Amino acid sequence: MTFPAAQAAFYYMAAASVTSAILAVTRRNPVHSMLWVLALFLHVAGIFLLLDAEFLAAVQVIVYAGAILIFYLFVLMLLDLPGEVAGPRFGPHWPLAAAGGIGFAALAWLALVGTFHPAGAGVATAAVRAPGEDPPLGNLSQVGMALFGPFALPFEMASLILLAAIVSAVVLARRRTQP
Amino acid sequence: MIVPVGVVLALSAVLFGIGVFGFLARRNLILMLVSIEVMLNAVNLSLAGFSRHFDDPRGQILALFVIAVAAAEAGVGLGLVIALNRNKPGASVTDLTELKW
Repeated sequence: MTFPAAQAAFYYMAAASVTSAILAVTRRNPVHSMLWVLALFLHVAGIFLLLDAEFLAAVQVIVYAGAILIFYLFVLMLLDLPGEVAGPRFGPHWPLAAAGGIGFAALAWLALVGTFHPAGAGVATAAVRAPGEDPPLGNLSQVGMALFGPFALPFEMASLILLAAIVSAVVLARRRTQP
Repeated sequence: MIVPVGVVLALSAVLFGIGVFGFLARRNLILMLVSIEVMLNAVNLSLAGFSRHFDDPRGQILALFVIAVAAAEAGVGLGLVIALNRNKPGASVTDLTELKW
Protein backbone atom coordinates (compact mmCIF):
# COMPACT_ATOMS: atom_id res chain seq x y z
CA MET A 1 0.00 0.00 0.00
CA THR A 2 2.78 2.40 0.83
CA PHE A 3 5.23 2.79 -1.95
CA PRO A 4 8.33 4.89 -1.53
CA ALA A 5 7.72 7.27 -4.44
CA ALA A 6 4.68 8.84 -2.78
CA GLN A 7 6.52 9.01 0.53
CA ALA A 8 9.50 10.67 -1.10
CA ALA A 9 7.14 13.15 -2.76
CA PHE A 10 5.50 13.90 0.58
CA TYR A 11 8.79 14.49 2.36
CA TYR A 12 10.06 16.67 -0.50
CA MET A 13 6.89 18.78 -0.35
CA ALA A 14 7.06 19.00 3.44
CA ALA A 15 10.68 20.20 3.34
CA ALA A 16 9.98 22.61 0.49
CA SER A 17 6.92 24.09 2.19
CA VAL A 18 8.76 24.63 5.48
CA THR A 19 11.69 26.21 3.63
CA SER A 20 9.49 28.50 1.56
CA ALA A 21 7.47 29.51 4.64
CA ILE A 22 10.65 30.45 6.51
CA LEU A 23 11.91 32.39 3.49
CA ALA A 24 8.50 34.08 3.11
CA VAL A 25 8.51 35.51 6.62
CA THR A 26 12.17 36.54 6.57
CA ARG A 27 12.78 38.10 3.13
CA ARG A 28 13.36 41.83 3.11
CA ASN A 29 11.62 42.58 -0.18
CA PRO A 30 7.84 42.13 0.21
CA VAL A 31 7.42 40.97 -3.39
CA HIS A 32 9.98 38.21 -2.83
CA SER A 33 8.02 37.23 0.29
CA MET A 34 4.85 36.97 -1.78
CA LEU A 35 6.55 34.75 -4.34
CA TRP A 36 7.80 32.43 -1.59
CA VAL A 37 4.27 32.28 -0.20
CA LEU A 38 3.15 31.27 -3.70
CA ALA A 39 5.70 28.43 -3.61
CA LEU A 40 4.37 27.44 -0.18
CA PHE A 41 0.76 27.35 -1.42
CA LEU A 42 1.65 25.21 -4.43
CA HIS A 43 3.56 22.72 -2.30
CA VAL A 44 0.70 22.52 0.21
CA ALA A 45 -1.61 21.83 -2.74
CA GLY A 46 0.68 18.94 -3.66
CA ILE A 47 0.40 17.60 -0.11
CA PHE A 48 -3.40 17.84 -0.39
CA LEU A 49 -3.18 15.72 -3.54
CA LEU A 50 -1.15 13.10 -1.67
CA LEU A 51 -3.77 13.13 1.12
CA ASP A 52 -6.53 12.25 -1.38
CA ALA A 53 -8.08 15.72 -1.21
CA GLU A 54 -8.09 16.55 -4.93
CA PHE A 55 -10.88 19.12 -4.75
CA LEU A 56 -9.12 20.90 -1.90
CA ALA A 57 -5.91 20.94 -3.93
CA ALA A 58 -7.70 22.50 -6.90
CA VAL A 59 -9.35 25.11 -4.66
CA GLN A 60 -5.98 25.81 -3.05
CA VAL A 61 -4.36 26.49 -6.42
CA ILE A 62 -7.28 28.43 -7.94
CA VAL A 63 -8.51 30.44 -4.96
CA TYR A 64 -5.44 30.79 -2.76
CA ALA A 65 -2.62 31.00 -5.28
CA GLY A 66 -4.71 32.38 -8.10
CA ALA A 67 -6.98 34.90 -6.43
CA ILE A 68 -5.98 35.78 -2.86
CA LEU A 69 -2.25 35.99 -3.47
CA ILE A 70 -2.68 38.07 -6.63
CA PHE A 71 -4.92 40.37 -4.61
CA TYR A 72 -2.15 40.78 -2.03
CA LEU A 73 0.36 41.48 -4.81
CA PHE A 74 -1.95 44.09 -6.35
CA VAL A 75 -2.30 45.92 -3.04
CA LEU A 76 1.44 45.68 -2.41
CA MET A 77 2.17 47.25 -5.78
CA LEU A 78 -0.64 49.80 -5.36
CA LEU A 79 0.86 51.05 -2.09
CA ASP A 80 4.35 51.32 -3.64
CA LEU A 81 6.67 50.95 -0.66
CA PRO A 82 10.17 51.85 -1.88
CA GLY A 83 11.51 52.37 1.64
CA GLU A 84 10.57 48.87 2.73
CA VAL A 85 13.81 47.30 1.48
CA ALA A 86 15.99 49.80 3.31
CA GLY A 87 14.41 49.66 6.76
CA PRO A 88 14.63 46.86 9.29
CA ARG A 89 12.22 44.08 8.47
CA PHE A 90 11.60 42.94 12.04
CA GLY A 91 10.63 44.91 15.10
CA PRO A 92 13.09 45.03 18.00
CA HIS A 93 11.07 42.35 19.77
CA TRP A 94 11.74 39.64 17.20
CA PRO A 95 13.51 37.18 19.55
CA LEU A 96 10.35 37.19 21.65
CA ALA A 97 8.33 36.53 18.49
CA ALA A 98 10.64 33.64 17.56
CA ALA A 99 10.25 32.18 21.04
CA GLY A 100 6.48 32.52 20.71
CA GLY A 101 6.44 30.77 17.34
CA ILE A 102 8.69 27.92 18.44
CA GLY A 103 6.78 27.56 21.70
CA PHE A 104 3.45 27.43 19.91
CA ALA A 105 4.71 24.86 17.42
CA ALA A 106 6.08 22.68 20.22
CA LEU A 107 2.82 23.02 22.16
CA ALA A 108 0.71 22.11 19.13
CA TRP A 109 2.98 19.17 18.40
CA LEU A 110 2.65 17.90 21.95
CA ALA A 111 -1.09 18.48 22.02
CA LEU A 112 -1.81 16.85 18.68
CA VAL A 113 0.65 14.02 18.62
CA GLY A 114 0.76 13.33 22.33
CA THR A 115 4.40 12.32 22.34
CA PHE A 116 7.29 12.87 19.99
CA HIS A 117 6.55 9.50 18.52
CA PRO A 118 6.32 10.13 14.77
CA ALA A 119 3.37 7.84 14.13
CA GLY A 120 0.97 10.04 16.07
CA ALA A 121 0.52 8.07 19.28
CA GLY A 122 -1.93 10.57 20.75
CA VAL A 123 -4.33 10.41 17.80
CA ALA A 124 -7.21 7.97 17.68
CA THR A 125 -6.78 4.99 15.43
CA ALA A 126 -7.55 5.38 11.76
CA ALA A 127 -10.79 4.29 10.22
CA VAL A 128 -10.62 0.81 8.79
CA ARG A 129 -11.67 0.29 5.24
CA ALA A 130 -12.94 -3.01 3.94
CA PRO A 131 -10.59 -4.51 1.36
CA GLY A 132 -11.82 -3.95 -2.16
CA GLU A 133 -13.99 -1.04 -1.13
CA ASP A 134 -13.50 2.16 -3.10
CA PRO A 135 -11.86 4.96 -1.17
CA PRO A 136 -14.71 7.28 -0.27
CA LEU A 137 -12.54 10.37 -0.04
CA GLY A 138 -11.12 12.78 -2.55
CA ASN A 139 -14.24 12.40 -4.51
CA LEU A 140 -15.74 15.59 -5.87
CA SER A 141 -19.29 14.31 -5.94
CA GLN A 142 -19.09 13.29 -2.29
CA VAL A 143 -17.77 16.68 -1.25
CA GLY A 144 -20.53 18.30 -3.29
CA MET A 145 -23.23 16.12 -1.74
CA ALA A 146 -21.99 16.94 1.75
CA LEU A 147 -21.77 20.64 0.92
CA PHE A 148 -25.35 20.81 -0.33
CA GLY A 149 -26.76 18.27 2.12
CA PRO A 150 -25.86 18.49 5.80
CA PHE A 151 -23.63 21.54 5.27
CA ALA A 152 -26.10 23.64 3.29
CA LEU A 153 -26.63 26.22 6.03
CA PRO A 154 -22.89 26.85 6.68
CA PHE A 155 -22.41 27.03 2.92
CA GLU A 156 -25.00 29.79 2.62
CA MET A 157 -23.49 31.54 5.62
CA ALA A 158 -20.10 31.49 3.87
CA SER A 159 -21.67 33.27 0.92
CA LEU A 160 -23.14 35.87 3.29
CA ILE A 161 -19.72 36.37 4.89
CA LEU A 162 -18.17 36.88 1.46
CA LEU A 163 -20.89 39.39 0.55
CA ALA A 164 -20.28 41.30 3.79
CA ALA A 165 -16.54 41.26 3.04
CA ILE A 166 -17.10 42.67 -0.46
CA VAL A 167 -19.31 45.50 0.85
CA SER A 168 -16.97 46.33 3.73
CA ALA A 169 -13.90 46.32 1.49
CA VAL A 170 -15.60 48.79 -0.86
CA VAL A 171 -16.73 50.99 2.05
CA LEU A 172 -13.29 50.94 3.71
CA ALA A 173 -11.20 51.57 0.63
CA ARG A 174 -13.47 54.14 -0.99
CA ARG A 175 -12.09 57.63 -1.38
CA ARG A 176 -14.36 60.00 0.50
CA THR A 177 -15.25 62.98 -1.66
CA GLN A 178 -17.09 65.09 0.88
CA PRO A 179 -16.09 65.53 4.53
CA MET B 1 -2.18 6.46 4.10
CA ILE B 2 1.22 7.12 2.66
CA VAL B 3 2.65 8.72 5.81
CA PRO B 4 1.53 8.47 9.44
CA VAL B 5 -0.90 11.16 10.48
CA GLY B 6 1.57 12.39 13.11
CA VAL B 7 3.94 13.52 10.37
CA VAL B 8 1.22 15.61 8.75
CA LEU B 9 0.26 17.11 12.11
CA ALA B 10 3.90 17.88 12.93
CA LEU B 11 4.35 19.61 9.57
CA SER B 12 1.18 21.58 10.27
CA ALA B 13 2.46 22.60 13.71
CA VAL B 14 5.80 23.76 12.26
CA LEU B 15 4.09 25.80 9.55
CA PHE B 16 1.76 27.35 12.14
CA GLY B 17 4.74 28.28 14.30
CA ILE B 18 6.43 29.96 11.33
CA GLY B 19 3.22 31.89 10.72
CA VAL B 20 3.08 32.98 14.38
CA PHE B 21 6.67 34.17 14.18
CA GLY B 22 5.99 36.10 10.98
CA PHE B 23 2.88 37.73 12.41
CA LEU B 24 4.62 38.81 15.61
CA ALA B 25 7.96 39.85 14.14
CA ARG B 26 7.22 41.56 10.81
CA ARG B 27 6.41 45.25 10.87
CA ASN B 28 4.82 45.46 7.43
CA LEU B 29 1.03 45.21 7.72
CA ILE B 30 0.61 43.31 4.46
CA LEU B 31 3.23 40.73 5.42
CA MET B 32 1.51 40.29 8.78
CA LEU B 33 -1.71 39.44 6.89
CA VAL B 34 0.24 37.03 4.70
CA SER B 35 1.57 35.35 7.85
CA ILE B 36 -2.05 34.83 8.88
CA GLU B 37 -2.58 33.10 5.53
CA VAL B 38 0.38 30.82 6.31
CA MET B 39 -1.24 29.93 9.64
CA LEU B 40 -4.60 29.23 7.98
CA ASN B 41 -2.85 27.01 5.47
CA ALA B 42 -1.25 25.04 8.28
CA VAL B 43 -4.69 24.50 9.81
CA ASN B 44 -6.06 23.37 6.45
CA LEU B 45 -3.22 20.89 6.21
CA SER B 46 -4.06 19.33 9.55
CA LEU B 47 -7.76 19.24 8.62
CA ALA B 48 -6.95 17.40 5.40
CA GLY B 49 -4.69 15.02 7.33
CA PHE B 50 -7.45 14.23 9.82
CA SER B 51 -9.94 13.84 6.98
CA ARG B 52 -7.70 11.25 5.37
CA HIS B 53 -6.95 9.59 8.70
CA PHE B 54 -10.57 9.16 9.73
CA ASP B 55 -11.87 8.60 6.19
CA ASP B 56 -14.38 11.36 6.61
CA PRO B 57 -15.01 14.18 4.10
CA ARG B 58 -16.06 16.65 6.79
CA GLY B 59 -12.47 17.74 7.32
CA GLN B 60 -12.25 18.82 3.71
CA ILE B 61 -15.56 20.69 4.00
CA LEU B 62 -14.22 22.54 7.03
CA ALA B 63 -11.04 23.39 5.12
CA LEU B 64 -13.17 24.82 2.30
CA PHE B 65 -14.93 27.07 4.82
CA VAL B 66 -11.55 28.14 6.17
CA ILE B 67 -10.54 29.14 2.64
CA ALA B 68 -13.76 31.16 2.23
CA VAL B 69 -13.15 32.98 5.53
CA ALA B 70 -9.53 33.59 4.48
CA ALA B 71 -10.74 35.25 1.30
CA ALA B 72 -13.10 37.48 3.30
CA GLU B 73 -10.32 38.31 5.76
CA ALA B 74 -7.96 39.25 2.93
CA GLY B 75 -10.56 41.58 1.44
CA VAL B 76 -11.36 43.40 4.67
CA GLY B 77 -7.75 43.47 5.87
CA LEU B 78 -6.38 44.90 2.65
CA GLY B 79 -9.21 47.44 2.55
CA LEU B 80 -8.13 48.55 6.02
CA VAL B 81 -4.50 48.75 4.87
CA ILE B 82 -5.50 50.95 1.93
CA ALA B 83 -7.61 53.20 4.17
CA LEU B 84 -4.72 53.53 6.64
CA ASN B 85 -2.29 54.20 3.82
CA ARG B 86 -4.48 57.07 2.64
CA ASN B 87 -4.21 58.80 6.02
CA LYS B 88 -0.55 58.03 6.63
CA PRO B 89 1.68 56.73 3.82
CA GLY B 90 3.56 53.52 4.46
CA ALA B 91 2.42 50.17 5.74
CA SER B 92 4.50 49.84 8.89
CA VAL B 93 2.82 49.16 12.22
CA THR B 94 5.42 51.30 13.99
CA ASP B 95 3.97 54.39 12.29
CA LEU B 96 0.50 53.76 13.68
CA THR B 97 1.00 55.22 17.12
CA GLU B 98 -1.90 57.69 17.21
CA LEU B 99 -3.77 55.76 19.86
CA LYS B 100 -0.73 55.19 22.06
CA TRP B 101 -0.59 57.14 25.28
